[in-house]
Amino acid sequence: AMASRVSSKGKGKAGRGPEDGSTARCVKEWSTWTMKKAKVIAHYGFIPLIIVIGMNSEPKPHLSQLLSPV
Amino acid sequence: MGSSVSHAATPPPSIPPPPQHAVGLAGVLPPKSEEKSERKVNWLNLPCPVPFEEIQREALMSLKPELFEGLRFDFTKGLNQKFSLSHSVFMGSMEVPSQSSDTIKVPTAHYEFGANFLDPKLMLVGRVLTDGRLNARVKCDLTDNLTLKINAQLTNEPHFSQGMFNFDYKGKDYRSQFQIGNNAFYGANYIQSVSPHLSLGSEVFWLGHQRKSGVGFAARYDTDKMVATGQVASTGIVALSYVQKVSEKVSLASDFMYNLMTRDVTSSFGYDYILRQCRLRGKFDSAGCVAAYLEERLNMGVNFILSAEINHPKKDYKFGFGMTVGE
Repeated sequence: AMASRVSSKGKGKAGRGPEDGSTARCVKEWSTWTMKKAKVIAHYGFIPLIIVIGMNSEPKPHLSQLLSPV
Repeated sequence: MGSSVSHAATPPPSIPPPPQHAVGLAGVLPPKSEEKSERKVNWLNLPCPVPFEEIQREALMSLKPELFEGLRFDFTKGLNQKFSLSHSVFMGSMEVPSQSSDTIKVPTAHYEFGANFLDPKLMLVGRVLTDGRLNARVKCDLTDNLTLKINAQLTNEPHFSQGMFNFDYKGKDYRSQFQIGNNAFYGANYIQSVSPHLSLGSEVFWLGHQRKSGVGFAARYDTDKMVATGQVASTGIVALSYVQKVSEKVSLASDFMYNLMTRDVTSSFGYDYILRQCRLRGKFDSAGCVAAYLEERLNMGVNFILSAEINHPKKDYKFGFGMTVGE
């Protein structure tokens, strides 16, 4: 019974009222979608975020210092 | 205070106790330093314990240096006090975990770019590799006592990314932490100082997807000269460690781990020499493995690293060398 309930998770719960099932499913799908988008944003944006915060901290470093190896 | 009277070994001295030897000269000498060890214990003012995950940190620092095989070069360039960039090159073999007892080594080479922002209240560390993997660490002080830590490894392959959120609360003589991780991992731990030298802690965790849970207990006893810790977990692991600080420059460490499920016992002994120009750590363990790790300071900010690990039973010999430039 546990296995079948787990496998039918994504397809809505049989036997419950239709409203409970669809809102729970919507919330779950929406939260999965936000987690996926958040992961992509974090993956691409974390290092640029650190660089932006660092370049704006005092004393402000110059842009050339960012690229030169010295 | 009432508590100090019942627990003190000697009556609390409001004036220095009269010295036992000659009266005239002893009266002008400063009181003996042995008084410190007999100072009464203020049970309401115990020190804050170390965080639960760092309970074995002295033993881990001495016994588990970052051994590697191959060439390693790290360059850290500071742009200002708080912000720095790092470039890191590694060429060598990395071990791939395998089911059989043979070690499988895969030759790898990668370049890693990193950016660090270190502020007293906010710390951001990010490292990205050439294959797109990102290692991110965030530590943010939300209030004086509450800290948020985020640790994540994000990969391009789906379902291989990991992340963990930790909320740490630091009380006067206790610390507590709540963890949320991917794969529905929830954990909490709590550690409390029960005496100036002894702290006790416990942790619980729950893995949602595998429906596994566990409980663990830990104790740590530390003085200026030694640290002893013990940990027991319901996953069947018993871990003990002992570190003795022999002098300012030398520490000796040992640890012992017993896995009740697989009946595996591992024990290791190591030394840690912190000298003016170098730091040498070496260890040998019951699995027949001998390792050493040397960091030599050649110049201001330039460190030369040698790493060696010899596993006699498996005939696995790993030697590495490298250089670290920058802080």
